[in-house]
Amino acid sequence: MSKTYKVVNGLKRAKPIMSANPSEAKARVIHLYKAWYKQIPQMVQLYKLDVTEKEAYAKLREEFAKNKHVTDLRVIDLLVVKGQLELINTVEHFNQKPHVMRFFRDTHNPRPTDFLGKFYAGHDP
Amino acid sequence: MMRLRPLARAVTAPNLLKHSVRCTTSVATQPEKIEVFINDKPVYVYPGTTVLQACAEGGVQIPRYCYHERLSVAGNCRMCLVEVEKSAKPVASCAMPVMKGMRVKTDSELSRKAREGVMEFLLVNHPLDCPICDQGGECDLQDQSMVFGSDRSRFTDINFAGKRAVEDKNIGPLVKTIMTRCIHCTRCIRFASEVAGVDDLGTTGRGSDMQVGTYVEKLFKSELSGNVIDLCPVGALTSKPYAFTARPWETRKIESVDVLDAVGSNIVVSTRSGEVMRILPRMNEEINEEWISDKTRFAYDGLKRQRLTFPFVKDEAGNLKKTTWEDALITASSMINNFEGNQIAGLAGGLVDAESLVSLKDLLNRLGSEALCTEEIFPMDGAGTDLRSNYLLNTGLAAIEEADLVLFIGTNPRFEAPLLNTRVRKSWINNDLEVALVGTKVDLTYDYDHLGDSTEVLKQLADGSHPFCKKLNKALRPMVVVGSTSLQRKDSQAIHNAVSTIAQTARVQSGCGEEWKVLNVLHRVASQVAALDLGYKAGVDYIRKNPPQVLFMLGADEGVLTRDDLPKDCFIIYQGHHGDKGAAMADVVFPGAAYTEKEGTYVNTEGRAQETKLAVSPPGMARDDWKIIRALSEILEKPLPYDTIQEIRSRLEDVAPHLTRYGEAEEANYFKQANELTKTIKGQLETQPLSPPLQKLEDFYMTDSISRASQTMAKCVQAVKEATKNPYM
Repeated sequence: MSKTYKVVNGLKRAKPIMSANPSEAKARVIHLYKAWYKQIPQMVQLYKLDVTEKEAYAKLREEFAKNKHVTDLRVIDLLVVKGQLELINTVEHFNQKPHVMRFFRDTHNPRPTDFLGKFYAGHDP
Repeated sequence: MMRLRPLARAVTAPNLLKHSVRCTTSVATQPEKIEVFINDKPVYVYPGTTVLQACAEGGVQIPRYCYHERLSVAGNCRMCLVEVEKSAKPVASCAMPVMKGMRVKTDSELSRKAREGVMEFLLVNHPLDCPICDQGGECDLQDQSMVFGSDRSRFTDINFAGKRAVEDKNIGPLVKTIMTRCIHCTRCIRFASEVAGVDDLGTTGRGSDMQVGTYVEKLFKSELSGNVIDLCPVGALTSKPYAFTARPWETRKIESVDVLDAVGSNIVVSTRSGEVMRILPRMNEEINEEWISDKTRFAYDGLKRQRLTFPFVKDEAGNLKKTTWEDALITASSMINNFEGNQIAGLAGGLVDAESLVSLKDLLNRLGSEALCTEEIFPMDGAGTDLRSNYLLNTGLAAIEEADLVLFIGTNPRFEAPLLNTRVRKSWINNDLEVALVGTKVDLTYDYDHLGDSTEVLKQLADGSHPFCKKLNKALRPMVVVGSTSLQRKDSQAIHNAVSTIAQTARVQSGCGEEWKVLNVLHRVASQVAALDLGYKAGVDYIRKNPPQVLFMLGADEGVLTRDDLPKDCFIIYQGHHGDKGAAMADVVFPGAAYTEKEGTYVNTEGRAQETKLAVSPPGMARDDWKIIRALSEILEKPLPYDTIQEIRSRLEDVAPHLTRYGEAEEANYFKQANELTKTIKGQLETQPLSPPLQKLEDFYMTDSISRASQTMAKCVQAVKEATKNPYM
């Protein structure tokens, strides 16, 4: 086996830090999903959210589904860790209501990108 | 009137050269350069150069108060004293010509001591009011006392007599005088008599009793009076409208271009917190040197008054009501959709940039209309506006200094283009330029040959029977300048034909060659050349003949077309920045941006494209002009293919490439062919005399929607009218 092959092979298959194989990663994701799922009723009550539990479940599913295309184990692990941190912030009430409501983006107006939209808004491109 | 020949101009070498080139056809002999030593560094300069200029050549800036490159040498402030070896006393470097082998020491003990002494004497009688002085931060006296002054004063007022105090003078609504601050450099006096040509300022008294002023209290009656504010090295002459409003270090300076006349003077717009604080000149040797007219400088307060900040739509009662952009655009488009072709017409005013001109043309062309006109009239028969040479100031502004004869026809350049007039005056002083005028006799600040104001003179000049033709044909570099104001008449074609013939004959007879251009048209509005370059029809004849159902007025504020000229149910859309005549007759009003609020291309009367820069954002809901038209096109479902300024500039380049070559004057030619084409047109000259509309100083100040909205300009008009009533002036 030549040296070049070793290097290329090494680059292609970086050593996973947490999950060793896809099934292990999947288990972590499902574990996180369940943790969030269980937490939602308390969360809606604690933060007095302007959404129903049903909407919150749907949003949870949506947020996870956003990353369903990710196959890289390291990226999946990273996202899982981020999700856990966010969950801790929510459970411990480090977050406040607007932080949680940011998931729902109900007051978010995207900046216009078309000419007429920009013209009405008065934005310069 | 006295012909002044400023010493500095007469003795500097480049001028000598220019003279010899102009007067003789043979190769001029170049005077040999001589060697002088500036701080032991050898510098080669032409004989006749002053020590100060030689020092500048050697990279040493000598402090000065009275010396100014564009004025005659006075040599009275003594700040430029330097030590010259083998000279007993320090010499005033601004007035001393160099001699071979001269050794100048600009930083010796003697030089420094001399400057320190001069500074000390100046400060003995200069008030310590820098904190309340408008010159603070841009004051030569402040700066130079920091660099060259002593760290302490020996001035102790043991008798408590106080410093010298001088009564302030009221010289008009533009220039504020605080004469106690005056250090008697006499720059303002020299400017008034040499450049402005108005001998209003002078000195009285001598020694410490010397005063600069007008002797009896009177108005400084000049269209260039604001320039003395820039010239004053201290705070004795400051701007009245700008008084106590801003400090130079808190303003942002944006380099832009003036659009209130067709010269396109280069300016610096000072802004603070979204407001134009003042306008200053920017140096451009090709156009305005370093002067600007009072309208350019002071009409900026008109940018804050009478502004259109909301879209308006007329309601059932006939009143314009504030509305949203959506509503205004949809109202306009639903009306436009009912018609097609030449039933929709466009009319462009005098302050419009090339970007909005081209977008309006593109839009109307897409709707099938060819009815695009300008408010300003220009003869369209014969070669008309097909050949650019027909409507440009072909010789160029800077080339006036090379001319030896100028014939003005039906124009008053002093008020139509003050900076062209200063060039002519400069050349009249320095180069013995001869000037003649056909038209109403007006004060041009220099002597000229008045040939009369009737069109008969024009006819005689054209057929060569006038005695002046001899002079014209003998001139080596003649210029014929026709004012666009005289082309606004019914017989404009005939006048243009006559002028074209006069110019062509002079060009052939004088043997000035192919590269010297004789025919010149002096425009009075900034947008006209760009509009003609883009293919607009000059004048509203076309609209009158084909009454439109929808009229799009793009900044058309001169009232050339009124409701009476249009069909009764004609729908009028006005787009512009001021609530003037145009907005008053409109059904829908789109608020646009003024020249300080957009990046726009303007072509001046010599065909030089220049761009204005965004200094402040448009007020309220006002938008960039070309963007409004672009938005309307989208509502009409005929979207124009440009979204950004770069894209519309590339469209401009496609139509006329010179429009984006900023700073360069695009030359034109085919004078002979243009003249031949005019011969096929039979036009009769009318008998009414050639008289330009701007004849007196009070006519000068308010000529467009911005200056008409300006309070400062209104005050000027009033002040001049008052002054003319005074029998003692």
